[in-house]
Amino acid sequence: MAGVQTTDERAGVVPARPLARETTPRRARFAPGRRQWGITITLSAIVAVSLAPYLLMVFVSGKSRQQYEHTFWQPDWPIQWSNYAVAWKQIAPYMLTSVVVATVSIVGIVAISAVTGFVISRYRFVGRNLFFALIAVLLMIPSISSLVPLFVMMRDFQLLNTIWVMIVPHVVGGAVIGTVLMRTFVDGIPQTIFDAARIDGASAPRLFRSIMIPLSYPVMGSVALITINSVWNDFFWPLLTISDNRLRPISVGLLFFSGQNGTDYGPMFAGYLLSSLPLVVLFSFLSKYFLAGIQGGLPGSH
Amino acid sequence: MAIEMPADSSRNETQRRSRKRRRSYGPYLVVVPVMLTIGVFQYYPAVNGIFRSFFAWNPAGDSPFVGVQNYARMMSDSAWWLSFRNLGIIFVFGVASWSIPLLAAELVVSLRSARARFVFRTLLILPMAFPGVVTALIWSFIYHPNDGVLNRILRDAGLGKLASNWTGDPALALGALLFIGFPFIAGLPFLIFHSSLSNIPPEIFEAAQLDGVGRIRRFWTIDLPLMASQVRLLLFLAVVATLQYGFVAYIVTKGGPDNATAVPVLQMLNEAFQGGDWGYAATLSTTLFVITLAFSLIVMFARKKTSRAASEDGLM
Repeated sequence: MAGVQTTDERAGVVPARPLARETTPRRARFAPGRRQWGITITLSAIVAVSLAPYLLMVFVSGKSRQQYEHTFWQPDWPIQWSNYAVAWKQIAPYMLTSVVVATVSIVGIVAISAVTGFVISRYRFVGRNLFFALIAVLLMIPSISSLVPLFVMMRDFQLLNTIWVMIVPHVVGGAVIGTVLMRTFVDGIPQTIFDAARIDGASAPRLFRSIMIPLSYPVMGSVALITINSVWNDFFWPLLTISDNRLRPISVGLLFFSGQNGTDYGPMFAGYLLSSLPLVVLFSFLSKYFLAGIQGGLPGSH
Repeated sequence: MAIEMPADSSRNETQRRSRKRRRSYGPYLVVVPVMLTIGVFQYYPAVNGIFRSFFAWNPAGDSPFVGVQNYARMMSDSAWWLSFRNLGIIFVFGVASWSIPLLAAELVVSLRSARARFVFRTLLILPMAFPGVVTALIWSFIYHPNDGVLNRILRDAGLGKLASNWTGDPALALGALLFIGFPFIAGLPFLIFHSSLSNIPPEIFEAAQLDGVGRIRRFWTIDLPLMASQVRLLLFLAVVATLQYGFVAYIVTKGGPDNATAVPVLQMLNEAFQGGDWGYAATLSTTLFVITLAFSLIVMFARKKTSRAASEDGLM
């Protein structure tokens, strides 16, 4: 899961040669004692280039139209904080929609996938493996290929242009990934824990509530992050199914916001920045789980 | 929910059978509704899409059966196949661009300080945290013909002659699209290169160093061969991801100018939502689906083969 652990974090769990780890640096790839200025400078340059567009966004978001025209290259006072107020007023409804969609989806996905994963992992019943196979196979179906028929179906259900047209596909799609992750995780919980609880007289709901749920918080966290990421980045589906401007989620809303602001770049970039904040903040604190989520959503990764 | 615990594998067959007889239907109360929902919202649309590709599908009225007519039309649809040419260019460029993440990964794992490694790795993947739409919008601003940063840099550097309408000129638009995200570090290739490189046992390098193997030779003879299986997996994943490519092109160029940046996903959506030709759109999406599924299957098998290596990388 955590493809981002450093070698040193990993080394901590290998008790075999702890002394060797401490005395010789793990990466003795270059003559020891040599300063690594060359590498550091090259990497700093690469970092600067890859972050430049986002720094540009921060830079421009504080400028007025005149400042943008005349003092493009230098920071210029006063910083136009009002750009943020202007942008926020316009994108707040989009953010709200995305937050609502993400919240409802997360609750739905976690509930469905926890119960389904638990039942499929811990109970033996006819069709168990078939059910699981039918769920897991869906990971290989690209959502873009059923977009057109799903659109027509939602139209027949008269769900177009409602918040449900966004929530339902997220919940169902997320429940697929979530169930697979949950099942794999619950399979890893030793059966003896459940057996011990049963001997103590725990019922099935009790097993679920008191053993399964507390143990699976990390998986639920991953599922939640996958969901937030996919809601924030979902583009074509809301573009096609939502026509009411107030209902637009942030991904599509931002496109319209950008079109409306014409050449008023300050507020425009302030809006981009504000709409990035939730993901960037989550990433800063939870980058390990965030990346696990990105990798967990790959086709064929289970 | 009066559910029995599952028969443990340690229980013998007779016990299991006797438990079976007393089994309650509890699990089905959970699984059946979930399967029904998944059936309605995932299986039905996918199957329906295949089914409808044989009709002149009109969701609001008559939909006569037309057999393989849609498929015949697709075969001679030059715009559709041209969009695959663009996709091919996008894929080849994408793979070629891995050299930069590979270099970055080599540099990061070469750092001796654990803190420096952590800081650089985090900063390099930080762009992944920004929403894709924001990245696409910033880049389309960079390419803006009048106010864009790229042309401004060129003009201020006295190279005003080079300033162009990057996304509006058919000769340049695809190149402009490809360059979005430069230097392409924030993505799966870097993460995979980084984790496979940092998992190569240091003993190998020590041995190589003793044998007098230099930096460049070590890269070709040790690093690359040890990463081969991950690179193969990455290739298949890149094919699957490329087939889904669309939204950046939609935001930055809308497939234009003059179809210069048309890709299959945009063609498909155009047929349905602009052309109103739902049956033909279903045909296109079925074709995309079949191609993607084929590669997904390859990914799955490649993944199984490399799962040992990958799980040691912590990628599973």
